[in-house]
Amino acid sequence: PLQPPGPKAVPKRPGASRRKPREPKIASSLIKKIFSHYVKMPVTRDAFKIVEKCCERYFKQLSDDLEAYSSHAGRKTVEMADLEVLMRRQGLVTDKMPMNVLIERYLPLEYRKLLIPVAISGNKVMPSK
Amino acid sequence: GRRKRKVMKRTAPRSTLRKIIKKHKPQLRLAANTDLLFESFFIFSFFPLLKVHLNFIAFLHRLAEEARTNAFADKSKIVKPEHTIAAAKVIMHFEYF
Repeated sequence: PLQPPGPKAVPKRPGASRRKPREPKIASSLIKKIFSHYVKMPVTRDAFKIVEKCCERYFKQLSDDLEAYSSHAGRKTVEMADLEVLMRRQGLVTDKMPMNVLIERYLPLEYRKLLIPVAISGNKVMPSK
Repeated sequence: GRRKRKVMKRTAPRSTLRKIIKKHKPQLRLAANTDLLFESFFIFSFFPLLKVHLNFIAFLHRLAEEARTNAFADKSKIVKPEHTIAAAKVIMHFEYF
């Protein structure tokens, strides 16, 4: 049977009722999913909390860097080139590991299609040079 | 036999990414908002947020590998906070210095 609405509402803890403007965060479920995918072994709950903290720090650092790169180029807008420079500096993009390989490794097809135009033709290999 | 591959869904939380960057750098803009209608037209236009997402996954990949290595070195079968903290120190250092 349904509970009568109204008076029997769950007593709220003081302070819990007002909704604070939430800080934007990557869903911890997503962080957990990606991290577990790569770590390939059990992870304690507390270790996941550390991972989440690391993500927050990562984004702070990333924002600082993106601002630095774009303002260095005299822009207020972050462009793709800034991210390429960043990833080179991080050692993710190298001569042996071009951006497109990273994109293929990490992103699902629908995004690859957007970022690597030649992938649109499916199996057909188009001259990429 | 071959291990069954678990498919990892890697949809980028683009609006969240945008909000996070905005929180840190309110005045910073990101090129080319990915309006679905325009995606097919502007194949060559810029999608920095997707690359931010890519960078984020790569970061977690590195962190995971490093944490795993630490757990192994510690003869632990489970990743504990200290393995992750040590990994973070190395990774952050790698990435930004």
